[in-house]
Amino acid sequence: MLTWAIPTYTPDYPGYGASPALVANVSVSVMLFMACLSLVRIGLALYMKKPIPAEESEFPEDMEEDSGFTQVGRVNLHHLALFMVPCVLLVVAIDYIGYVPAAFAFLMILQFAIGSRKWIQSTVVAVVLVAVLYVVMRYGFGVPIPGPQLF
Amino acid sequence: MDMIIAGLLDSIAPASLMFVFIGVAVGVLIGAIPGINGPMAIALFIPVTYYMSPLTAIGFLVGLNKGAFFGGAVSAVLLRTPGTPEAAATSWDGYPLTQQGKGEKALRMALYSSVAGDFISTVVLIVIAAPLAAVALFMGPPEIFALISLALTVIAGIGTSSICRGLMAAGFGILVGLIGTEPVTALPRLTFDIYQLGSGLSLIPVAIGLLAFSEIILQLEKFTSKLGGQHAANVFSSNREDRLLSFKEFFSNIKTLLRGSMIGIGVGAMPGLGAPVASFMSYDQAMKRSKKKEEFGKGSLEGIGASESANSAVVGASLIPLFVLGIPGNLAVAMLMGAFMIHGMQPGPLMFQENAQLMYGIYGSLVIASLFLLLIGRFGLRFFCKAVDIPALILYPIVVFTCIMGAYLGKSSMFDVSVMLVFGFIGYFMRKFDFSYVAFLIGFILAPEWERALQQVVIISEHDTFMFFQRPVAMTLMGLTFFVIVRTFWKGIKDGKVKQVEAAAAAAGQHKGD
Repeated sequence: MLTWAIPTYTPDYPGYGASPALVANVSVSVMLFMACLSLVRIGLALYMKKPIPAEESEFPEDMEEDSGFTQVGRVNLHHLALFMVPCVLLVVAIDYIGYVPAAFAFLMILQFAIGSRKWIQSTVVAVVLVAVLYVVMRYGFGVPIPGPQLF
Repeated sequence: MDMIIAGLLDSIAPASLMFVFIGVAVGVLIGAIPGINGPMAIALFIPVTYYMSPLTAIGFLVGLNKGAFFGGAVSAVLLRTPGTPEAAATSWDGYPLTQQGKGEKALRMALYSSVAGDFISTVVLIVIAAPLAAVALFMGPPEIFALISLALTVIAGIGTSSICRGLMAAGFGILVGLIGTEPVTALPRLTFDIYQLGSGLSLIPVAIGLLAFSEIILQLEKFTSKLGGQHAANVFSSNREDRLLSFKEFFSNIKTLLRGSMIGIGVGAMPGLGAPVASFMSYDQAMKRSKKKEEFGKGSLEGIGASESANSAVVGASLIPLFVLGIPGNLAVAMLMGAFMIHGMQPGPLMFQENAQLMYGIYGSLVIASLFLLLIGRFGLRFFCKAVDIPALILYPIVVFTCIMGAYLGKSSMFDVSVMLVFGFIGYFMRKFDFSYVAFLIGFILAPEWERALQQVVIISEHDTFMFFQRPVAMTLMGLTFFVIVRTFWKGIKDGKVKQVEAAAAAAGQHKGD
């Protein structure tokens, strides 16, 4: 960020005020400094053969207590892919086949992915949800429905 | 005086009343569902408020927030699964009462305590916000810059065990907040030649992605690991005494409620602490001062009252720093700040001058929301109890699809849906690796204001870096910022040492045992 993104995608200093890159550089520097500090703490702990400070642990679920708002735990990439892929496909498909079929297919796939095997219930949920949001968007808020329209 | 009357009349207009009512009802319903909390609800519903007048929109969102605070108690009492983090202490006494068949009594106590705490804090907000804002008007760009720096530092500690991670998250939030048009040169910055980024990232897709979408990914992860699936215990006893809360039972705890409300107001008025802190602090004080200490944790109405009055008192009080200084003290208020900005208002002391009528309208809506909460809670309790039993297989697809279409609704743009997915993905990893998404969001929201204040300081002072030393308030605030950072690091190191000693002692003990 400091050597490529910020210099390349930030306007030149206009000659007055603070540089447009100043706050961006400061925020990235803070991130870099804090990351280095964490690494130093972990490195020191390893060097002195002491346990890694709990708050600097790579996976803080190793800590005994939960830290409040966050739900820490190991990353489940399979679950993440199972969930994100249909969402990305929806965004792509909606432009080609339109809102109604894309959203219906998305909801059916999503329900299957999370373990629903009751086809009638899944179909009812998908149809009702797609229809309700269609009506709310089109007639309630007057928002254009995304993608090509079938009707 | 005319402004006050006009504002209050606006707040009792039919449309305004209707949306405050809907906001409270939806808030209670959403808060009752485990895993969905107030800030999430606000993020999901902000796009809907695009189509409302500013007063109706803010009234609706404030009602939603107030409702969600009480709603969190429903699942806490019935399932021992707090719908919101601040309801955790409520579950300690609420659930044992449910097991005794007194769930309805516990919920009534939670409701009346919530309404009491909320009402008291709203009154305090109304009384002190305007005079404090008048004082805050004397603050110039150096003070504002120093104040935002302090707020970011304090808030960096929320939602994470490590201040390093908190500051990294806040830094990342600021960086993302800088994307868009640079204010001095009016040229694009950090847009990577993507034209949709020219006007910056909208709060709505970022907030929905970070708050709601990533949370749902995690909830689904737990659900598919077969960890979910609780059902409510016996809530409604046929015995009248077990169901109803008598005047005597309520008023015997009035001291606890007042103390809880005061704790909630104090905690809420300070940026960075939040409702869970108020709730636990009040519960702790109530237990220490109670004549029936032994009942705590086994079904004490006093414990429920202490927790609920304190966490609900935070709702009104947390608006004090927003209205007085333009600083959001917690996530829900940060979302409300975003809503204000979407409707063309910059929260802060100037609001009392520029939008006085609206401010009094909001005050009116806050009081009305408290009354609606009482009515809706009183007559809809049984209905809201059903919310905790909504099957996850139906609920989660609804929430996911609402997130996606909510992100679209703001600007009618599929690009915003992509942004929401990206931030959902980032939010998932932030939660997994204990990076504070609260600090990120507040950094993201405050970044433009922080940079604007900095630019003003640099231009006014003509690059004189000693300007802060000529402004005692700004210097004090910068000193406090420095103190907070040093203190937090020092505390982290000290706590780390204590944990290491404890771990070594435990290991030694285990070795002896072997």
